[in-house]
Amino acid sequence: MNPSPATTNTPPTKPQQSRIKALLKTMWKERAAYLFLLPKMVLFLAFILVPVIWAFVISFQEYGVFESEWVGVDNFVKTFESDAFHVALLNTLKYTVFTVPLQVLIALGLASLIHPLGRFSQSFFRGAFYLPTVTSMVIIAMVWRWVYNYRYGLFNYFLEFLGIPAQDWLNQSDTAMWALIIMSVLIPPGVGIIMYLAGMGAIPESLYESAKMDGANAFQRWWRITVPLLKPTTLYLIMLSLIGSFQVFTQIILMTGGGPGNATETLVHLIYKSAFRDMEFGLASAQAVVLFVITLIFGVIQYRLLYRKGEE
Amino acid sequence: MKNKWSKTVAVVTTLSLLSVAAIGCSKDTATDTQTAEKWTGKIVLWDGPRWADQGGNKYHWLEDQKKSFEASHPGVEIEIVQVPWAELNDKLGVSIAGKSWPDVAPIDISGNGVNPTFIKQKVIEPLDSFFDAKEKADFYPNALDAYTQDGKMYGVPAAMTVHSMLLNLDIFKERNVEPPKDGKWTWDEFTDTMKKLTYDKDGDGKNDVYGISTYIKNGYYEAWPFLYMDGGRPLSDDATKFTFDSADSLSAMKKVAALKNELQVAPKEMGSGDVGGTWKAFSAQKTVAVEPWATWAISAAKKANMNNIMVASYPTGKSGKPVTIGGVGGWMVFHQESEGKKQVIADLLKQLTSTDNQVLSAQQYGTFPSRKSATEKNPFANDPQMQAAQKLSESAVMLPRHAQWKKIDEAIQAQLQLVLNGEKTPEDAMKEAKKSVDELLKK
Repeated sequence: MNPSPATTNTPPTKPQQSRIKALLKTMWKERAAYLFLLPKMVLFLAFILVPVIWAFVISFQEYGVFESEWVGVDNFVKTFESDAFHVALLNTLKYTVFTVPLQVLIALGLASLIHPLGRFSQSFFRGAFYLPTVTSMVIIAMVWRWVYNYRYGLFNYFLEFLGIPAQDWLNQSDTAMWALIIMSVLIPPGVGIIMYLAGMGAIPESLYESAKMDGANAFQRWWRITVPLLKPTTLYLIMLSLIGSFQVFTQIILMTGGGPGNATETLVHLIYKSAFRDMEFGLASAQAVVLFVITLIFGVIQYRLLYRKGEE
Repeated sequence: MKNKWSKTVAVVTTLSLLSVAAIGCSKDTATDTQTAEKWTGKIVLWDGPRWADQGGNKYHWLEDQKKSFEASHPGVEIEIVQVPWAELNDKLGVSIAGKSWPDVAPIDISGNGVNPTFIKQKVIEPLDSFFDAKEKADFYPNALDAYTQDGKMYGVPAAMTVHSMLLNLDIFKERNVEPPKDGKWTWDEFTDTMKKLTYDKDGDGKNDVYGISTYIKNGYYEAWPFLYMDGGRPLSDDATKFTFDSADSLSAMKKVAALKNELQVAPKEMGSGDVGGTWKAFSAQKTVAVEPWATWAISAAKKANMNNIMVASYPTGKSGKPVTIGGVGGWMVFHQESEGKKQVIADLLKQLTSTDNQVLSAQQYGTFPSRKSATEKNPFANDPQMQAAQKLSESAVMLPRHAQWKKIDEAIQAQLQLVLNGEKTPEDAMKEAKKSVDELLKK
C-alpha cells in the first residue's frame, strides 16, 4: 500500500527552507544573546515546563514512588466528586472575587494620588509602597497573626476603642476568610502602583491640557483620560492578581491551616495536602490541572471582556 | 574583542549553571562502600529538638550519639538534619515526593506510630531481620504494635507518652483552691474547680485568668481524652464504623463545649489550632491554670521555671474511670539499596533506643520507656510528677489504627473546632464528620 501524501515526510518547500535558513542564520548571528538566554531557558525547562507536563501525565496515574498505575480519568472523577474540592473551590472563588478588584482599585487610587507629586515625594512613596512586595509573605503572615490576635491584637484594640466587640478573627468560621481577604487587600499592591505610575507617565500631557481647556475638572480628566488609557495596564494587573489569588497558599498554611472547620480551605492548600500529607500525587496533579483550567477560563473571559471594551 | 568576551562569559556562565544543576540532581553516593560485612559511608538522620543542654542546644544528645557511633564504626559518617517537630511530616512528604528521603527519621511521640501511607508507598524498610525474638521481647507489646503492620516491624519504638492534666498550683494557691486529691476528679468536681480558678486579675471587669484551655489540631490529641470520658470512641474496635456520633461521645462533647460557651471557664481561643499560643498562655503568660499536655510538657514546664506544678488525670465521666490517650515515638528507616548500610542503620537504631538512652530520655525529656529493661531501672525515682503520669499510663488507650487515619482525623478535628467555637452542635458536627469518615472507611 502506498502511503498517502499526508502521512509521508514531504521535504520542506522552497519558501519554508529559506525561512528556516534565515532563522538559523539570525540565530547564529545573535549566538551570544542566545547563549546568555540558555541558562534561563534550561532552568525554565527543568523547573517549570517539564514539571507541568509531568504533572499532567501523573494526573492520569495512581502514582507511587516506585511503581505507578495508569487509571485514566479516575483522579479527575474523584476531584469533581469530592466535597473537600467543592468547598475549596468556593472559598478560593470568594477570596478571588473580593481581593482581585479591590487590589487593582487600590493600586489605581494610590498611583493616581502619587503621580501628581514631585520627583522626590514620588520616589519616596514608590519605595514605601513597594517594600511589602519584597518582604516575605511568611513574615507578613506572622505579623498579621498578631494583628488578628483575639487578646493582644491591634485590630481588636481599635474595634474596642470604637466600642465594637472584639472578635476571634482567625478562629471563627464567619470571620476567618474575611480576615484573610482584608489582610490581602490592605497589603499595599507595590507592583500595581509601579505599573500604573509607569502607565500614567506615558499618557501625553497634551491630552490633559486640551481637556482642561474644554472645561473638564480634575475628576473628569482622571475618569475620561487616565482610566481609559490605563486599560492595558489594568487588564495585565487583573490577570496577574487573578492568578495570584487562585494560588493563595502561604497565608492559609501559616494563619489558619484551612480552618476553622474548612472555612479557609483553598485549592492550593488542598492540593498540597493531597500530595505531601496523603501521598496521593495522582489526585493532587488532577486537582492542579483542574485549577490550571479554571484559571485559564477566568483569564480568557476577563481578557475578552476587557479587551473588547478597550477596543470599543 | 568585546564580543569575544561576551561569548566567553556566556559559555562559562551556561556551563557553570548546567554543572551546578547536574551536581544538585545527582545522588551523593561517592563515599559509599557496599559490602554486606562492613559498610562505610554517610547516614543522613533527621531529628526534632529534644531537651536542651546548658547552652540551649536541643540536639546535644543526638550529637553525642553521633560521635560515639562514628567512633565505634570507623568510616561511617552521620549527618544530622535538624527539623522542627511541627514541620516533620510535611518535610517528609516533600522529600518522598522528590525521592530524596533521609536514611533515618523520627516518629513524633504525639502520633500513633508509623505512617501507613509511607508503608503503602514502600518507602519504609521492615526491620524484623535485625531484631531477634529476645530483643523484641524487651519492648512493651503496645509500643511494638504501633510499629507493626501486616506482621512486619516498620520501625523501632523509642519512647511512650500519655496525655495528662498539668496544674499550675501557684494559681490554685492564689485562688485558695484545693487541687484534686490523688490527682483524680469527677466532671462536677472539675468544673467547680475551673469556676473558682477563673477570675479578673487586673480588676478591669473582664476575666483574664481561666481555669482550662486546650487546642484542636490535626494529629494532636490533648482534648480527646475528654471526649472519651463517657465511654465514647471515634471508631469501633475493629475500625470499621464511625462511633463518635454515639450518645456517649456526644454527651462528652457537649460538656467540653460548655466549658467555653456556657460556663465561660475557658478563654475564647480554646479550640483553635494554636499549639504555641496555648502553651504560652499556660507556661509564660500564666493566664490558664490547667491544660492537658503530653508528658514532655512536665519537664518543659519545669525548665520554664514552673516549679509548682502537679499532674492530674482527666476528669471521670459516666464511665467512672479516668481515661487518657497514649502515643509512641520512635525511628523509621527509609528505603535502602544496600543491605550493608541497612545493617549499620539497624545498629544505630539499637544504640539510639538502648536501655540507657531510654532512661536518659525519661529523666530529661519526660517520656516513658518503650523497653521493659529501662522501666526496671526506675527512671522516675525522684520525679513525683512523672510518677503520677506513669500511673495514668495504666488507663491509656491507643488511637485507632487505620490506613486512612490522617484523613479521618482531619474530618473529625475540623468539626470539633466548630463544636468548641459554639458554631455547631455536637450532633450536627458529627453527622457531617460521619459522612466523610464513612467514605474513608469503605476504602
